Formats: sequence, C-alpha cells, structure tokens
Amino acid sequence: MRTLNYKEALNEALHQEMANDSRVIVLGEDVARMGGDFGVTMGLLDKFGPDRVRDTPLSEAAIIGAANGAAFCGLRPVAEIMFADFITECYDQLVNNSAKARYMFNGQVMAPIVVRTASGAGFRAAYHHSQNIEAWFMNIPGLTVVAPATPHDAKGLLIASIRDDNPIIFLEHKMLYGTSGEVPEEPYALPIGVAEVKRPGTDVTIVSSMKQLHYALAVADQLAAEEEISCEVIDLRTIKPFDKATILSSVKKTGRVVLVNEAPKTGSINAEISAVITEEAFRDLKAPVERVNSLDVPVGFAPVLEDYVIPGPAEIAKAVRKVVDY
Amino acid sequence: MSTDKQTLLDYYRKMVLIRRFEETMEEHARKGYIPGFLHLGIGQEAAQVGTMASFQPGDYVLPDHRSHGVCLMVGTPTREVMAEIFGKKTGTNGGRGGSMHVADFKRGNVGNNAIQGSTMATACGLALAAQVKKTKSVTFEFIGDGTVGRGEFHESLNLAGIWKLPIVYVLVNNGYAISTRATDAHPLADLAKMGCAYKVPGITVDGNDVEAVQAAAKEATDRARRGDGATIIELKTYRWQGHFSGDPASYRPEEEVKAWKEKCPIKRLREKLLKPKMADEAALKAIEDDVEREIQDALKFSIDSPAPTIADALSFVYVGREVTGK
Repeated sequence: MRTLNYKEALNEALHQEMANDSRVIVLGEDVARMGGDFGVTMGLLDKFGPDRVRDTPLSEAAIIGAANGAAFCGLRPVAEIMFADFITECYDQLVNNSAKARYMFNGQVMAPIVVRTASGAGFRAAYHHSQNIEAWFMNIPGLTVVAPATPHDAKGLLIASIRDDNPIIFLEHKMLYGTSGEVPEEPYALPIGVAEVKRPGTDVTIVSSMKQLHYALAVADQLAAEEEISCEVIDLRTIKPFDKATILSSVKKTGRVVLVNEAPKTGSINAEISAVITEEAFRDLKAPVERVNSLDVPVGFAPVLEDYVIPGPAEIAKAVRKVVDY
Repeated sequence: MSTDKQTLLDYYRKMVLIRRFEETMEEHARKGYIPGFLHLGIGQEAAQVGTMASFQPGDYVLPDHRSHGVCLMVGTPTREVMAEIFGKKTGTNGGRGGSMHVADFKRGNVGNNAIQGSTMATACGLALAAQVKKTKSVTFEFIGDGTVGRGEFHESLNLAGIWKLPIVYVLVNNGYAISTRATDAHPLADLAKMGCAYKVPGITVDGNDVEAVQAAAKEATDRARRGDGATIIELKTYRWQGHFSGDPASYRPEEEVKAWKEKCPIKRLREKLLKPKMADEAALKAIEDDVEREIQDALKFSIDSPAPTIADALSFVYVGREVTGK
C-alpha cells in the first residue's frame, strides 16, 4: 500500500472532505497562504478559495467562536489552533459554548466543529509549545478528544471527526508529523471512541496514545525478546470518551496494567483510567496499576531539562517490570 | 423625527410588554417561583425595541445579559420565554436554560449567554456563514458596557473589520457593570468610538429615545446587509433595578436613579403619542390592557407547566452518544 507521513495523511483528509462536502471550511492562523505552521493545510486555499479557507489574526477566541457560530448555521468548520498550549486563549469558547450549546439550547442546535492542534513535547520548544492538554478537557461534558498515533489513524479519525456532529478536540502530536505509514488513498472514517490493540500480549496491558504509544510498542518488543515478558499494547486513539471495554477486557486477561501518557501525572487521563480499572476490574488485578507520566513540572528549555521531565522507554520498561515483579 | 403613528403604537406596545414582563418576573422571583439569578432590563426597553425593529427573518440575534425583551422581539411567544425563566419544560429550552440562556434558533435567537462577551466571537461565525452561504443575513450582537473590557470584544471587532462581517454591535451602555461605573472601567466616555481602531464605525445614541435608536439601528443594519460591514451603535440608557433581582444597588446615588426614572423611555413615548394627539388615553389604555392579558396568560401557562423530568438531564449532552444516569 501507498505510504504517507502523518502530516500528509491529515492534509489528504482535509482535501478529500472539503471536496466531498461544501459545508467544510478551514480557519486559523497561517492556514491559508502558508498552509499551516506544520503544513497540514497546504494547498487548501488554492483549491477551495478564500471564502472557505481563511487566515485569521492572532485571535484564538474569535477563531473558535466563529467556528461555533458557523457550525450553528450548518457549516462544518475545521479550526486550527497552532499549538495546543494556545488553547488557553479560547478555553472559554470551547468549554462554555462548543461543549454546552447542544445541551443548554435543548437540542435546537449542534456545534460540529473540529479543533485541530499540535500538542506534545520533544520539539525543544519549552513551556508554551510543548504541553499535552488532553486532561484539561476530560472534565467537560459535551467535548470529545481524539488523538491519533499513526498516519492511517490520523486520516481516518480526522475524516470521522469532520463528519461527527459533536465538537471535537483533535490532537496531533507534533513529533509524529514526519512519521510514515500505510494510508489508503480513498476517504475512510474510523470509529470515534474505539481503541485498537496494536500488539497482543498476555502478561501486562500497556495503555497509551500518540507519541508515547510508539515508545510502548518498542518497549514491548524489547521485553518480549530479552525478558520474556508479553505486553499487550493498546492505542487509545480517542481519549474522551476512552474505550473502557477494550481496556477492561485486556486487564481481565493480563491482570497487570501500565498506563502511559505524556502529560503531568496529577489529574492526567491515567488517573481516570486507573480509577475506572479499580472500580470495574479490581478483582482481576494482580498488581497495583502503574502510571507513567511526565513529572508534575513544566517542560523546560534546555534538552536536559525536557528529557528529565518527559517519560520515555526507560520509564515504561521500569514500570512493566515493576508490575510483573509485584 | 416623524415615525408614523401605527409604528409608534407598535413600539409602545412592545415596550410596555417588556416592562410588564420584567416587572412580573421580578414579582415572581420574590415569591419564589423563579430559581436562580434574574437580570432585569427595566428602563432599557427603547434600546431593545428600537434595535429589533430592523431584525428580519433570516437574521440572527445574540441577546445580552439583560435582555428578556430582545428574546421577546424575535417573535417567540411570550409564554415560551416566560416558561423558560420559570424553568419549565414548555420553555424555549425545555427549562434547561433559564433566564440567562433563552434561545429560539428557528426564529434567529442564538441564545443569550452568561459569559459576557463570549457571544461576540459566536457572532463572527454567524456572519461568516452568511458570507460563505451568500445570504443577506445580519447578526445583531447585544452587549453591555462591561463587555468592552473582554478580549472577545477586540477580537470580534478586529475580525469584523478585516472581513467586513455583517454585524450590528448593539452596545447597551447603562453606565454600570454591576457596581463598576463605565467611566471608571473604560477611558472613553462614548464607547462607540472603540470601533475606530478596527475601522468599525460607531454612533452614540440616546438609548431611551426609541425613534433615535431605530434610526441608528436601521442605518447600521442596511449597511451590514449591503455588504459594507459592521457598525457599533451605543445606546446610552440606565437599568432601574440592581444588577440582579434583589441587588439593592447601594453603589448608585439615589438622585441618579431618580433622574433616570424621569427619563423613562415608555413615559417619553407615551407623552409623545398623546401630545400631538396621535393617540388618546383610551387607545393607550387598550394597548396596556391587551399587554396585560398576554402577560397573565403567559404567567398562568408558566405556573401551570410541568418541570423537566430527570430523563431530560441526560439528553443532548452528545449527538449520537448516550450518557449514564445515576
């Protein structure tokens, strides 16, 4: 099959959905003339024109508010917030308007917007260009958070998100844009809210997403080869709502769990997944749930600071050994 | 100004309707019929009626925090607006919105909002959709003087300026944001001038003169409909009550309140109608009686209507996804 990188897969999804559905519009900072800070919206302006592809000023609140209003009128806006860290500038719009519009207006309206944003550490870009923000939205009923880890899922989940009638935060890990994989040429939508078992195993369940998923897979291969530990690795793909059934069924089989997420530990999605496992699979557990997260520390600039704070394969392997040896 | 008699009588009826609506709400809040906060627009009727005279089917309006009256002006039955404020299932939002979230999308009321300025961003999207869909729809964005301090005010005006968005910004300057005087919160006395920086023209009008308001709103609406962009109309007026029903408003000098009550917009129109003998006492009394019947009908409907059910608490959180109850 044809190979594309994560960025190209996202770009193809946008081209195909804009061609298929004239209600889809794209707006954000530098999305039109430049084609996006990371190149995800390349070529859209030329193909679909300035009415449907709009550069905005540095106005995140207006970007998301405009997306909401356009969605109320039947359009399907895809808004780009250049870096996930900037989402604080439009947090009110997302939390108080996008998420609640359908509920507070008694189903009179939908807010089918997609907010694409580049998240995650590793770019040596420090505090305001490196954060993982999924936990900021876990506590907001009405929102959905999608987070693909591969080019294949990036395309299929972006198309699904555009077609979905709910407001969706679509997280793109900036360290994955250049990673390649097989991507079908035709448009396709993957189910939202469904995780994927990326690697079957019997001893330990590792639940992860985005960039950390690739570390988890590498660790699983290494531990299978060197220490005869069989890890089942689950890619969440959708973070809110996460796929409880797939996680619990794996935990039932392995009884040992390592949760891997790049955000700071306290209040992270790992805390929520761990709570669910405790509530619903307590008797299946053979060891306490282990969480691998970033430290509760900001992402500093000098590489030594960032590398110390952000988790990696060594922390994942250590956690796996810990639950096995318990 | 020479507005014809029939139009003036129509304004009179609408202004009396809003006044009686608000007085009835205050009375029933005091009696314990109405849960939560109630922000009344008594004294601001001319601003609401004069502006909404230019509202046409297909237009959108985002009422401000003090605008049950605006909600009535899109043609939503008085019963449904009142029942919503009572938290009843027969209300515009099925009782899940209340005073601060009355919406009627099919008539163009996109909902008032409890986050000041938040809808200024939404307005950009409604207006953007009009451009993309090539309709003649105009968006009326009602805000108070306090909202001028919000970031969305500036982001919205900036976007409206560069995209020539068809928006009429209706800045109801009643002199106070809760206790803070507009003159203490903003350096300009005439807030309509705030649009200068964004090439959004502004006009400051006596907000208690319904004809002056109507004329300014009409000019702004015509301009927006022509595709010439947004306008701010600043309507100087006064709220007679405190910020919310029950707020004694001890932060305002009594003489000030008294002086503004002398400038009552309804009294002013009534005197005008009587002076050149456009109408006699009997005709105005007939209008007032007719309004009273409408209010009493709405009141009985609101009191008699059922509350939402527990099942209503779980619907419309997501499209196509159930949430779990207790």
